[in-house]
Amino acid sequence: MLNRELIGPSLFLVLFTLYALVAWQIPLMPFEEYESVTSATLPKVYAVFGIVVCVLSIGANLLKQAPAEKAELLSKGNLLRTFALLVLMVAYSAMLEPFGFLIATSAFLITGFFIMGERRKAVLLFASVPVAVVFWFLMTQVLGIYLVPGNLWS
Amino acid sequence: MLDGIMLGLSTVLDWNNLLYVIVGCFVGTFIGMLPGLGPITAIALMIPITYSIGADSGMILMAGVYYGAIFGGSTSSILINAPGVAGTVASSFDGYPLAKQGKAGKALAIAAYSSFIGGTIGAILLMVAAPLLAKVSLSFQSPDYVVLMFLGLTAIAAFSNKGQFLKAMMMTVFGLMLATVGIDPSSGTERFTFGQADLLDGISFLLVAMATFALAEALINVARPEAEPDKKIDDPDTPKIGSTKLTKEEVKDMAPVVGRSSLLGFIVGVLPGAGATIASFMVYATERNLAPKALKDKFGKGSMRGLAAPESANNAACTGSFVPLLTLGIPGSGTTAIMLGALIAYGIQPGPMLMQENPSVFWAVIVSMYFGNIVLLILNLPLIPYFAKVLAMPKSVLTVMILFFSLIGVYLVSFNTFDLFMMVGFALVALVLRLLAFPMAPLLLGFILGDMIERNFRRAMMISDGSLSFLWDRPLTLSIFVISILVLLFPLKDYIVQRRKEKAATQAEQHA
Repeated sequence: MLNRELIGPSLFLVLFTLYALVAWQIPLMPFEEYESVTSATLPKVYAVFGIVVCVLSIGANLLKQAPAEKAELLSKGNLLRTFALLVLMVAYSAMLEPFGFLIATSAFLITGFFIMGERRKAVLLFASVPVAVVFWFLMTQVLGIYLVPGNLWS
Repeated sequence: MLDGIMLGLSTVLDWNNLLYVIVGCFVGTFIGMLPGLGPITAIALMIPITYSIGADSGMILMAGVYYGAIFGGSTSSILINAPGVAGTVASSFDGYPLAKQGKAGKALAIAAYSSFIGGTIGAILLMVAAPLLAKVSLSFQSPDYVVLMFLGLTAIAAFSNKGQFLKAMMMTVFGLMLATVGIDPSSGTERFTFGQADLLDGISFLLVAMATFALAEALINVARPEAEPDKKIDDPDTPKIGSTKLTKEEVKDMAPVVGRSSLLGFIVGVLPGAGATIASFMVYATERNLAPKALKDKFGKGSMRGLAAPESANNAACTGSFVPLLTLGIPGSGTTAIMLGALIAYGIQPGPMLMQENPSVFWAVIVSMYFGNIVLLILNLPLIPYFAKVLAMPKSVLTVMILFFSLIGVYLVSFNTFDLFMMVGFALVALVLRLLAFPMAPLLLGFILGDMIERNFRRAMMISDGSLSFLWDRPLTLSIFVISILVLLFPLKDYIVQRRKEKAATQAEQHA
C-alpha cells in the first residue's frame, strides 16, 4: 500500500510526465530551428530533472526500511468543512459578476460563517452585510475602484 | 552612502509613507499574532493594496508588515505558547515559561527590545553591506546570474527541514514549470496554454502567492486544526501582562547575548534559503552552550537570555535576507520572494542596478526597516494588551475573512473571475501538498525566478555560441557553480552520516 511519503512523489511523477509530454510538443517557430535554446529547451530540462527527482524520492522511500509513517488522521467533519469552503469559493467566483459584489459577498460571508459552525444570528448578520457594504464604500466611493454591480440587473 | 540614507530618510519621513510604516506594523502584528499565519500571508494580503500606492510606499508598507508579523508571532509565542511564525518558535521555549511565572510583560519587553536592537544592528549592517555588494555585483553577467539563481534554488531546498530536501526540489521544479505557462517572451510561442486565452499572459504571481499561502494556510487550519494552545487569551487563568520594566542587572546580562545573536542572525539571514527560523534556533543553541552552568539549566524554564537570543537573531536575519534581494535581485526566502514579485509587478527589476535606477526605493526600504523597528517599540509594545484581544477573535469569522480578502485581492488586480477559479484550484493543490508535508516557499521561489533564469540562460548560451562552457569560462561563474553543487550535495552528507550510525547500531546489536 502507498504510504504517505510515496503519495507525493508519485503524484508529482505523473504530473511531471504529463508536463514532459506537452513540453515535447511545443511548436517551434521557423527561426528557432537552428538556435541552441528554444522555447522548449528549459521545459524539457525541467521535466527530465523533475522526473529524476521523483524517481530518486520514490526509490529512497522504498529503500528506507523504516516502518511506514502513520497516515495523518483527519477528522471527517473537518475535511467536509474544508471541502465546503472550497465549493463556496467556487460559487462566490461564479456569482460575483452576475449578482454583483454586495450580494455575492454578503452571501459568501454568511454561508462561510455558517460552514465554520457559527450559529449566532447577530454574528452571521453583523459580520457579513456591514463588512461587504463598508468594503464596497471604501473601494467605490473613497478609492474610486470599480466593483461590479451585477450583470443581471445592470 | 550618506546621500542614500538622506534620500531614504526624506522618502520615509513623508507623512504618507510614515503612515504606511505605522499601518504596516499594526497590520503585520495583528496577522502575525494569529496562530498559523505568518509574514508571507500578511504580505500577500497586502499586495493588492500596494498596487495602488506606488513602489516606494508599497515597499515601505510591506517592510512594516514583515516586521510587525515577526513581532506579532513573538507575542502569541510568549502569551499562549502558539507561535504564529516558524521564526518565533524558539522564542516560545523561554518566553512562555516566563509568562507562566507572571512575567509576561517582562518577556514581551525583552522580545521588543531585543528585536529592536537586532533590527537596528541588521539595518546598519545592511546599509554597509548592500551598497558594497551592489557595486561588486555590477560586474555580474548573464552566466553569473544563471548560476546565482541556481544557487538560490538549491540553497532553499538544501536548508529546508531535515528529510525534506527532495520534496523541496520537487516543489522548486513545480514552480519553475508554472513559470513556463503562457507566451514565451523571446519567441512568442504559446506554451502550456491549452487554447485558453486567459493563460496567454502566464499565471499571475499574486494568484500563486495568495493561493499557496493565504488560502492554503486558512484552509489547512480548518482541515487540521492546530492543537489547542495551552491557554486562551480570554481565560481568567491566563497570566496577566504585568510590568514591562527591566532591571539594570537584567539588561547588563542580556546585552552581550543580544549583540552576538544579532550579528550571527544577520549573517545567517544573508545566506539564501536560511532565514529567521534557522538563525533563531542556531543562536538559541549557541547561547545555551556559552552560558555558565547555573544559567544553562535555566534554558527552557524561563531564561531571559534564551528569549533575548532568538528574538534579536530573527529580526537581524529578516534584515539580512534583504541583502541578496536588493543587491542581486535574488530572494533568499519565501517572504523576500513575494517582495521580489511585487517589485517586478511595479516594473522595477531588483538587482545591482536598483541602487542606481531606483535609489529612492532601495534606500527607502532600508530606512523604513529601521523606522519599522522604532514603531514596534514605541507604539506596539504599550498596545500589546489590546492587540492580544485579537487572539480571542472567533476562528469562524477570521478564516472566512481571510478567504474573502484573498479572493477579492486577486480580483481587484485582474478583474477576471477565471483567476479566481484558478486560485481555488491552486489552493486545493497546495492544501493536499501541505497535508503531505511539502514546503511551499520553494515553489514560490521557483515560480518567481523561473522567468529570470530562462532569460539569462538564453543570453548566456547566445554569448557562448550555444555551449555550456559559460559555466566554467569565468572564475566567478565557476566558483558560484561549484558552491551550488556543494550546496546540492549538502543533504547527502546527513544521509551518509545517518546510514553510518544505523550501520554501527546494527553491528553493536549483533555483537551484543
